[in-house]
Amino acid sequence: MRDAGAEQDDVLGRAFDRRLAGRLWTAARREHRLLAAALALFPLIAAAELAQPYLLKVAIDSHILTADWVGLAVTAGLYALTLAALYALRMVEAYLMAVAGQRVTHDLRGALFGHLLRLEAAFFDRNPVGRLMTRVLNDVEAVSEAFTSGLLAIVADVITLSGVVAIMLWMDWRLALVTFAIVPVLAGAAAYFRLRARDAYREVRRRLAVLNGFLQESLQGMTVIQLFARERQELGAFRRLNRDYRRAVFRSTVFEASLYASVEALGSVALALLIWYGSGQIVGGALTFGALVAFIQYTNRFFLPIRDLGAKYTVMQAAMASAERIFGLLDREPRIVSPTVGRATAATTISNGPPTSLAERAPVATTVRQPAIEFDQVWFAYEAGAPVLTDLSFRVARGEHLAIVGATGEGKSTCARLLTRAYDVTRGRILVEGRDVREWDLARLRRHVGTVFQDTVLFAGSVADNLRVDGNGDAAMTRAALDAAHAATFVASLPGGLDEPLGERGSKISHGQRQLLAIARALVYNPPVLVLDEATSSVDPESEWMIREGMKRLLAGRTSVTIAHRLSTIQHADRIIVLHRGRVHEEGTHVELLRRHGLYARLWELGQSAATV
Amino acid sequence: MKQAIDALQNGGDAMGSYVGLILVLAAANGAARLASRFAIVGAAQRVEADLRDALYGAYQSFAPEFYNRHSTGELMTRASSDVSAVRSLLGFGFVSLVGTAMAFIGAIAAMLAVDPWLTLCAMAPLPVLVTLARRFNTELHARTEAMQEQLGVLSGRVQETLAGMAVVRAYTLESRMAAAFAADNRALLDRSVSLAAIQARFTPLMSLIAGVGVLIVLWVGGLSVVQERITLGALVAFNGYLAYLAWPTVALGLTLSVVRRGLTSVARIEEIVQARRSTEPAGPPLAESPSIRFSGLTFAYPGRPAVLSDIDLDVAPGEVVAVVGPTGSGKSTLGLLLSRLWPPPPGTVFVCGHDVTRVPLGTLRATVGWVPQEAFLFSRSIDDNVSLGRDGVDGETVRAAAAVAAIDEEIESFFEGYRTVVGERGLTVSGGQRQRLALARALAGEPRLLVLDDVFASVDAATEDRVIKALRASGRTMLVITHRLRVAQVADRVLVLEGGRIVERGTHAELVQRGRLYARLWRMQQLEEEIASA
Repeated sequence: MRDAGAEQDDVLGRAFDRRLAGRLWTAARREHRLLAAALALFPLIAAAELAQPYLLKVAIDSHILTADWVGLAVTAGLYALTLAALYALRMVEAYLMAVAGQRVTHDLRGALFGHLLRLEAAFFDRNPVGRLMTRVLNDVEAVSEAFTSGLLAIVADVITLSGVVAIMLWMDWRLALVTFAIVPVLAGAAAYFRLRARDAYREVRRRLAVLNGFLQESLQGMTVIQLFARERQELGAFRRLNRDYRRAVFRSTVFEASLYASVEALGSVALALLIWYGSGQIVGGALTFGALVAFIQYTNRFFLPIRDLGAKYTVMQAAMASAERIFGLLDREPRIVSPTVGRATAATTISNGPPTSLAERAPVATTVRQPAIEFDQVWFAYEAGAPVLTDLSFRVARGEHLAIVGATGEGKSTCARLLTRAYDVTRGRILVEGRDVREWDLARLRRHVGTVFQDTVLFAGSVADNLRVDGNGDAAMTRAALDAAHAATFVASLPGGLDEPLGERGSKISHGQRQLLAIARALVYNPPVLVLDEATSSVDPESEWMIREGMKRLLAGRTSVTIAHRLSTIQHADRIIVLHRGRVHEEGTHVELLRRHGLYARLWELGQSAATV
Repeated sequence: MKQAIDALQNGGDAMGSYVGLILVLAAANGAARLASRFAIVGAAQRVEADLRDALYGAYQSFAPEFYNRHSTGELMTRASSDVSAVRSLLGFGFVSLVGTAMAFIGAIAAMLAVDPWLTLCAMAPLPVLVTLARRFNTELHARTEAMQEQLGVLSGRVQETLAGMAVVRAYTLESRMAAAFAADNRALLDRSVSLAAIQARFTPLMSLIAGVGVLIVLWVGGLSVVQERITLGALVAFNGYLAYLAWPTVALGLTLSVVRRGLTSVARIEEIVQARRSTEPAGPPLAESPSIRFSGLTFAYPGRPAVLSDIDLDVAPGEVVAVVGPTGSGKSTLGLLLSRLWPPPPGTVFVCGHDVTRVPLGTLRATVGWVPQEAFLFSRSIDDNVSLGRDGVDGETVRAAAAVAAIDEEIESFFEGYRTVVGERGLTVSGGQRQRLALARALAGEPRLLVLDDVFASVDAATEDRVIKALRASGRTMLVITHRLRVAQVADRVLVLEGGRIVERGTHAELVQRGRLYARLWRMQQLEEEIASA
């Protein structure tokens, strides 16, 4: 089941779509001057190019046949001039186009990446990273090619073609018409192949997407494949996908090559017609030799762009399909956003906009004493029909340390995700400082409530880079956080200390060490409300105990929510709630809950009984 | 054509036959081109597919160490852009190069037949062309490589950020990530523009040189016609031949850049494929009684201090040994070495009495069921994720394994039961469910030895208890790496690691009595429980 927001790879590919072309043009607006400059060069290039056969005609008819040496020298000189001019013009044009194309790529890439950063968690659940990478890396490149080898090249071709046609008609309209007699056949052939190529091409894109998705996942799960000696089977599956892709590519090649060959053949037919008819004219004295030579060259120029039409068509189609996907992604509005300024100010007097100082990040002072966090009849489901939270309500007072426990899969982590609006509730509401999270400015909410996740994510930078999130955190603060998270010793033991690079996803340090750094990161982040989602699950008890000691100081005066299944880690919490079947099953302090002899007591008993065997 | 024009000059009756000849030649040319294109492009596509298969096969053969050095994005780039570049090299590049060569050979032969002197003049710019092409080639190579490299960096960045979106969001890292991306993106732009600059200078040069040939022929040929050394038809034909060469010459620039890029990519692919190690198929598990032995094991990751030193340990058949110790004490490395994801020094790690470095990988991994800390699920059904299509692992085995891993009831509550697709493109499952699915996956292979690396970190105590009990009851030899002394308590023996060394060993009771690190850890847990229950 996919929701409507899922990115699709099998977008229908048309070679030209006016709406898309318009948007592309808009996307390239910063490069309009470059493109305009390149466009301005086209007529000049065409003129220089088309002057050459004419100069040949003049040389043959007026100078060589009449033995006019001086005239020949002048014409040769002019010819040399056109050559030099052509080189200079083409160089500038090629450079301008390439720069424009690369800049469009650069800008679109930036826009796409920026847009992805704004999308909500549910989007990423539906769209594998590999597919999104294809958008940012490959699709964008295809679009830039639409400019350089597609649209603009076509404009250049049209200018050259018009020039050729005009000159040929001017030189000898009858001879020109003979050459053009072949055009309807050509147009028919082109239309036929185009039609057939479209579906073939769409298939290519689809298969490629499947292939890349498979590869990406294999790379990430390689250890599993190796451990269970699945290499041969996975390779077999990969081979099949790869072969399907190759066959699709070959089918598209058939059409492209057929078009190329037909144009080539038709070009020769036109040439034969020209010579046959032209020779008759020359015999009749109606045509000069030079004119015929020039005509032959013009005919060549006439067919050249048409012959490569297939290749250009392919480029354009790929580009349009890519553009469609890119714009589709850009149009996919983030569903979890800050409220519009008007609504937010109407709802509250708290100033909007990013906090400018640490003081501003302190719990918002409101006149009415409100709980720091309140879940009010919250319902939530990741997938329709499978609710995780059903009518969940609880409150956390300011400065209180709440623990949420429950069996695995009861939606504990979901609570943490909802609190910072990774997802939005299905029904009910969540209040932070008395205000619905949906009315908070997103960035402010997320600075107010910091989370340490169960799955630790670190980035490829140094230890220090990973700790100094959001620009804050001086050296002293970093050190204090490392001490509190009991990470100072191991960081000091790294060859580069704080500047030690951590590798992709922090792969150079152990899982437990990553958790320690994640905790330190949260402490540098310094939020008024801290959510620890199984933050110490992979840390040994001793380290965990030390972390807790260090954090006691840091948690003082802060509101915290600790999610755990290891009950020993949360006994000191002010209050514990037990989640069961998507709602609060029990609530109280550790002692109270034990006395109640309910679910908590049973969980505790099990933990104890194993320990006393 | 020359014949036709000369015939024309002489009054020409034979025109019709010449036109016919041109037509026949054109048709033959078209057919030959089409056939050769299909043959070559088809072959290029086959090579592309083979290369991609080879790359994939090589990827499969690399140990985790390789994946620490190369990002997924970079490896994806090699299997997509680089492989496509090779296809272009072999397809377009080859067709174009051969076409150019044939065009030159054919045209030069024809031109020589008409007039050798004029041919020499027309070809005079050729050496210049070759020299220039060579110089540009070197430069193109360097710049192409620089651009490709930066593309790899950029894709690594994208991959990492998108994979870590949860943290990016929670810590409002959006602007910082965008800035980092912008810097990489900008560097890529600079390198691409620098590549474009050299291409812009190079490509039109080709048509300039072709034009110079035409110019020379016009001048020298024109004079020759005036001197009546050659006929006008010869000159026209010459021009025709040169015009015929114009396109291949112009295309040479593009061709060379395609060839360059292709060769750069070939090198990048070769680098991976050459490093391929042989993968071994699944083998029968070792028949000897299931034991584990570490003997004087000292191990260090490259460029790091030793993570394990002087480890000696015997795990007898049927015995359950728990390994505890502070974070980073080298516990997880034991599992990596036992399943030879990292090769241990020879003669230090033994499974069923065999040195693991001498046991075929397939056999070793069929014997040792290692469940890593971080569980990975494929975007496939639960059934496929647990069975992995192994021989002898049918639906029944999967269900039995799921029952032992205490995940069966949850699976059945899913929408499509065992056919529910999980992972990136399927149902989101919790960390604890992921870990138990990974455990079920290992159990389904019925390994004789089980190595659990903190697999209950995200599982609640009740479930953990159920699973441990079921596993103990099966009488398997187990090495359980854990942070929870509760599990250590039910083990036959406990091993305490600190700083890569075994600092204590014995039964839970012995260690508690000894009053050292383990006892300290234990006392702490006890104390907390006492305080809590007071």
